[in-house]
Amino acid sequence: MASRVTEIASRLYDACLERFEADHLFYQQDLLALDVIPKGEIDLLLKCAQSLVDQKLFRLLQGSNNRLAWKIISRDDAEKLQSLSPDESLVYNVIHSSGRSGVWVRNIQSRTNLHKSILDRCVKSLESKNYIKSVHNVKYPTRKMYMLAGLAPSEDITGGAWFTDGVLDSTFINTLAGLIEFKVSTQSWYEVPTADRGRSKRIKTATGMAEVKSESEKTFLPYPANYSGYPTIEWITTEVNKSGVTPVRLGEDSVIQLVQMLCFDKKLVSLNNGINYKAVKNPVVVKAGFNRKPAAEEEAGSPILGLGKNGMTEAPCGSCPNIRLCSPGAAISPETCEYFDPWYEKVLGF
Amino acid sequence: MTMSQYAAELCALLIEDQFGDLFARIFTTLQRYERLPLPRLKFYSRLTERQLHHGLAAMIQHHLVFHFTSLEDGNTYYAANPQAAYYLIRSGKIIHLVESRLGEYAARVMETILYLGHVPIKHLETLPDLRYLAPPAAANGVVKEEEPGEEQEPQELDMEAGKETNGANGDHAEEVLQKPAPLHSTLKALASHGYIIRVKDAHFQSPEDNYIEAHKAASNRSDIKMLKGKRLTEELLQKTEEILRERTDGDLSEGLMVNGLPRGVKRKIANGVPESASKWRQTDHNGTNGNHADDDEENDWSEDEDGLDNIPMEPSLVLRVNYEKLDVALRNARFVDMARDDAAPATAEVYETLLRRIEYVTKRCRDTTEIPREGEEGEQFSIPIETYKIVSDVDPHLDLSGCMGPLNPASASVNRRGKRPLENGVNGDNHYDDNEEEDNADDDDDVSRAYEINQHLQLLEQAPHNLASHVRLSDGIKWRVGFRGLARKLRHLELERLVEMRYGDVALRVLRVLHAKGKLDEKRLQEISLLPFKDLRQTLASMQAGGFVDLQEVPKDAQRQPSKTIFLWYFDPDRVCSSVLEDTYKAMSRTLQRIKFERNLRRDFLDKTERSDVKGNEERWLSEGELEQLQRWRNMEAILLGVVSRLDDMVAVFRDF
Repeated sequence: MASRVTEIASRLYDACLERFEADHLFYQQDLLALDVIPKGEIDLLLKCAQSLVDQKLFRLLQGSNNRLAWKIISRDDAEKLQSLSPDESLVYNVIHSSGRSGVWVRNIQSRTNLHKSILDRCVKSLESKNYIKSVHNVKYPTRKMYMLAGLAPSEDITGGAWFTDGVLDSTFINTLAGLIEFKVSTQSWYEVPTADRGRSKRIKTATGMAEVKSESEKTFLPYPANYSGYPTIEWITTEVNKSGVTPVRLGEDSVIQLVQMLCFDKKLVSLNNGINYKAVKNPVVVKAGFNRKPAAEEEAGSPILGLGKNGMTEAPCGSCPNIRLCSPGAAISPETCEYFDPWYEKVLGF
Repeated sequence: MTMSQYAAELCALLIEDQFGDLFARIFTTLQRYERLPLPRLKFYSRLTERQLHHGLAAMIQHHLVFHFTSLEDGNTYYAANPQAAYYLIRSGKIIHLVESRLGEYAARVMETILYLGHVPIKHLETLPDLRYLAPPAAANGVVKEEEPGEEQEPQELDMEAGKETNGANGDHAEEVLQKPAPLHSTLKALASHGYIIRVKDAHFQSPEDNYIEAHKAASNRSDIKMLKGKRLTEELLQKTEEILRERTDGDLSEGLMVNGLPRGVKRKIANGVPESASKWRQTDHNGTNGNHADDDEENDWSEDEDGLDNIPMEPSLVLRVNYEKLDVALRNARFVDMARDDAAPATAEVYETLLRRIEYVTKRCRDTTEIPREGEEGEQFSIPIETYKIVSDVDPHLDLSGCMGPLNPASASVNRRGKRPLENGVNGDNHYDDNEEEDNADDDDDVSRAYEINQHLQLLEQAPHNLASHVRLSDGIKWRVGFRGLARKLRHLELERLVEMRYGDVALRVLRVLHAKGKLDEKRLQEISLLPFKDLRQTLASMQAGGFVDLQEVPKDAQRQPSKTIFLWYFDPDRVCSSVLEDTYKAMSRTLQRIKFERNLRRDFLDKTERSDVKGNEERWLSEGELEQLQRWRNMEAILLGVVSRLDDMVAVFRDF
């Protein structure tokens, strides 16, 4: 009898393996429909299923309406599981159930009701067998979290494409942001072809802007307002992935995040309710902006790449750290101020 | 208007610098004690009756002091007018603006009016300075500039006395060569632009007094007395406003406008000199033409006079400067600067033309006395302007088509050439020829120009500028400007410049995120701004220390433990703006104090240079070393005053626009 159950069980397992995908959830009628159990004996099915569960080839689950349901486990995994102690397999199951999002140690404890020392031992042994791994959660950096060794952590945990080992990778972000700005910029400005350049030079320009433009050799013109060729998110995503800067393919969500950051930097603006994006500066200026110094160190003659200046940024009082204490006749006063003299020297050159 | 400590200090400094100690003493006393009757003022200021009388009379002449005679107790109360005191600093900018719009002579008239506070026209007629078109000799100009500082005898009510003799002396030789100046048409031009207004009795009283009086007058009306309850309050308020407006409005522009254009501007189109509308800070456009144009303009001016212009303005009319209107013009100049920052020059010029049209019909920057809190401020649109008006105003030689890309880049080269053969052929070859006029007459050309102008303005309507917006009516597109939004934009621009300088562009991003999203905790802030925690925290901490961002604590339980508290960062632009405004006042007054200090350091030397025999003949009487020292001092003073004026630009943005 026992051998018959084993035999039918193994036939049942093979049939399941054949018919269902690894993650498929199946119920009693699904198993009966396989035509493996002779005459549809419920009793026999129960025994077979129990034996498969014992062998860790089936995982017992609770489906909808509290019905019993199963999932198949591959033979390799089953071997792994069989070697575990009951406590360990309990822990393993909890971790397994959390999938790619990982589970916090304290949650494992509450779900398994194991004592902390036992739990620690189980986790340690599972980790040493390389069945599970600990992961770093960006949202809760202090929590110890585990997931199955074979899984890649989900974006909720890693924080998306912008995190490397749970830390925001600012160099990567900046490189990519520069790339996107440049790419978008080439699409947002019309570059006057060489043949036409003679014409465009005659444009009457009242300000110094024109000189700057002619110096940079290439002339860029804005497109009319109803121009519809500005880049979209899809375009930017494909361009970024084509460029080979990123080790992994970036999803559109990540790109949107980055583009929105660029919008806050006022490097891009979104048009048509965020469908299209346009670069504020033309490609030459964008390139010049890459090796720009911080605003405070900018020299007087250099072209303005930032927001420009105003009275407060120019006056010595505007950048004075002690302006709140300054008053005539006090220790810090306009008479004794030590910022004015260097400032004259800088501005007047004497 | 209540003044803060630093604003009051600044006003006192400005008055002292401009008019001397006596004025400053009276002004500070009035600022410190607010409204005072004469005996109390005398007691607090410790001045003699004679000094006080002289001082007050002259200060009233300059609108630096309000006075109000109560009908109830018969006392006259005096109060400081900090607004007028502050505007002393803006006079240079105002003169510059008038010069760029209406020429040198108009600027001189404006300067005289500014210098005198208010003045009847018949007095202006007698001034030798304004009798001739050409400016007085160069040396005299220098004298005039420094005069306010040195003229320390405010007892002299007629401040012109000194100047008059001065002017007369300087002009001796040239007198014969110069033509009489068109004072009246210049005044009309100024009046129709709204830059000068008629002085009314109410202008001598503080706005509060005016309001109370108007309120009294309104409530005494028989039709108001019949009303009751809510209707009464509403009606009363409305009537009060009406009376107030009637009493303070000294607008002279009505009746002087020709086809919606003020006098003195149409010459630009009439003689077709390719003078760009943007004359703001742009004196050196094509050299030969510039020199030539001066003569031309003047000739033109008198020729321009049609029947109406020959009627002189009423000599008894008393004039003063209309700061409200000038602020509108200065604000528009800032908007144009904003457009120029990242739009093509031609686009900016079209925009300027639009703004100029709007300026003529905009009386003041805003209706409320205080800038409303952000978010509670509704948009206030200007009067919409039809495109054809802009077409007629814009410089006919301005190349509108060459500075915009094609709609369809693939077929660009073909299209561009095919589309505008006329432009390339006619305009390209003989650009400055007269057949331009014919082109203008051509209807097709007008239509295509209107199309192009619409294109330019549409570009400005788009993000990131949003500088204009259009209304589509049955008879075509009209353009208007949302002033409040743009004024807000200007304020933020100034703040952002400050933040960029002090904390770097990372801080700028954080600030913008906070402004766009409201209150955020650190985690969310990081997700949006994509900054490493370390940088973010440092930036936030330093910005908090500088007063740009604030932290709100939201405890989860009654114990208020830090571990169980949510911390939210936020940026309150209103608060930051007002604190930056205070800092700006302070920076201005510190800079002015520094000038005073530097001047005191060189007192002996400067006394020598200002001696009447040395002045004007420096090269003859001063050694080389002294000349160099003088030059250095002048540079230094100029740059310090320049900084003060730049700071005033910020005050304008934060307070006046």
